[in-house]
Amino acid sequence: MISMPPSERDLHAYVDHQLSEDDRRLVETFLASHTDIAAQVRAWQQDAQQLRAALSGALQQPANPALDPAMIRQRLKRQSRRHLASAAVLLIAVSVGGFSGWQAREMTFVSTQLPMTDALQAYRLIAQQGILPADYKAGDDGDMQGWLDRYFTQANRLPDLSGAGFKPASGRLLSTEQGPAAMVVYENQGGQKISFYVRPPGPKNFMLPRGSRSDGGLQAEYWSGGGYNYAMVSPTDTPAAQMLRQTVQF
Amino acid sequence: MNDIDEQLREIIPRLRRFALSLTRNSSSADDLVQASLERALSSWGDKRADGDLRAWLFSILYRQFLDAHRRSRRYARMLEFFTGRDDAQPSVERTVIAQSTLAAFDRLPTEQRALLLWVSVEGLSYKEVAEILDVPTGTVMSRLSRARQALRQLSDGEITRPALRRLK
Repeated sequence: MISMPPSERDLHAYVDHQLSEDDRRLVETFLASHTDIAAQVRAWQQDAQQLRAALSGALQQPANPALDPAMIRQRLKRQSRRHLASAAVLLIAVSVGGFSGWQAREMTFVSTQLPMTDALQAYRLIAQQGILPADYKAGDDGDMQGWLDRYFTQANRLPDLSGAGFKPASGRLLSTEQGPAAMVVYENQGGQKISFYVRPPGPKNFMLPRGSRSDGGLQAEYWSGGGYNYAMVSPTDTPAAQMLRQTVQF
Repeated sequence: MNDIDEQLREIIPRLRRFALSLTRNSSSADDLVQASLERALSSWGDKRADGDLRAWLFSILYRQFLDAHRRSRRYARMLEFFTGRDDAQPSVERTVIAQSTLAAFDRLPTEQRALLLWVSVEGLSYKEVAEILDVPTGTVMSRLSRARQALRQLSDGEITRPALRRLK
């Protein structure tokens, strides 16, 4: 049983129908003779009512099949694969430095590390598996160069691949042990993808001669310039890879 | 299992509404609901107490929202560090400003929005809300009181001097 006059908490509990039947009647009797407090309580009740009305529309959204419990269960089953993939995100950071922490003794030859492994790894994660979302998407005016310039002012210009039908579509920032990296994904109408990858050369200032290598179905063209290392990655044995090897001049 | 799914299907519209009131954006709201349902279904056996299913799901969703919010703020700060600019967070489009109460509600801090939705709209008991927030019932009541006053003040302000507030 609450005591009279009712505390503010009791009044809220009254508004929220959380009082016992007896207490509710006590409060009602009290309010009948205290008009100022009754007005206050009525205002709270009206706010709650209006809120319910205003938010009732949000219950009527068209169903989203992705939220159905059966779908969610299916997705959960596939999730172990995704866990593996996010482990690979960490690998980017680790493999770039070549386990520099605990294998530092064996790191006398930095060059034993295959060049631009992180660029290939990033291509797999972002362009092929779509694991990491884009930070920036090119709109119709498509100022991808502007986006890149905000992070890498001195870097080489984005190559123009429009002659081959490839246009910059999205960009993503990554962190590697050599410093921040950016990757721009080009796409053609057929949905094929080429990436442009740029990052600092790292603490050892390791510059790359112009070169090319392939690894696990991907081909990387790499070079250095303007104080950064670059790579362009595409699937091997595609016209795009061919085009990169032959026509792109860096 | 089908029984559980049926119960969930009934609650999903409520979860979506709650998520929408937190994120104010319908696609991120649905992402949030999806992440919460994944969390709920994968920890069904061990974590689910015998209480109200709805309150349990609300609490999962609320935590996920707070976590995601913190993460995205961290990420935005990282971008800002690179650029000296803050453009990682798109400006929040408030698509539904139907009534002054709703407009006022939208301007309340996250916890007050959640509180009012749970109590005034969903009709959860103070005890259930106390469990969600992991605070004593008395604390819920004083926070609720503050939330109501804030909503009241904002709704009044909305009617009498809307332009002044926007310009500030």
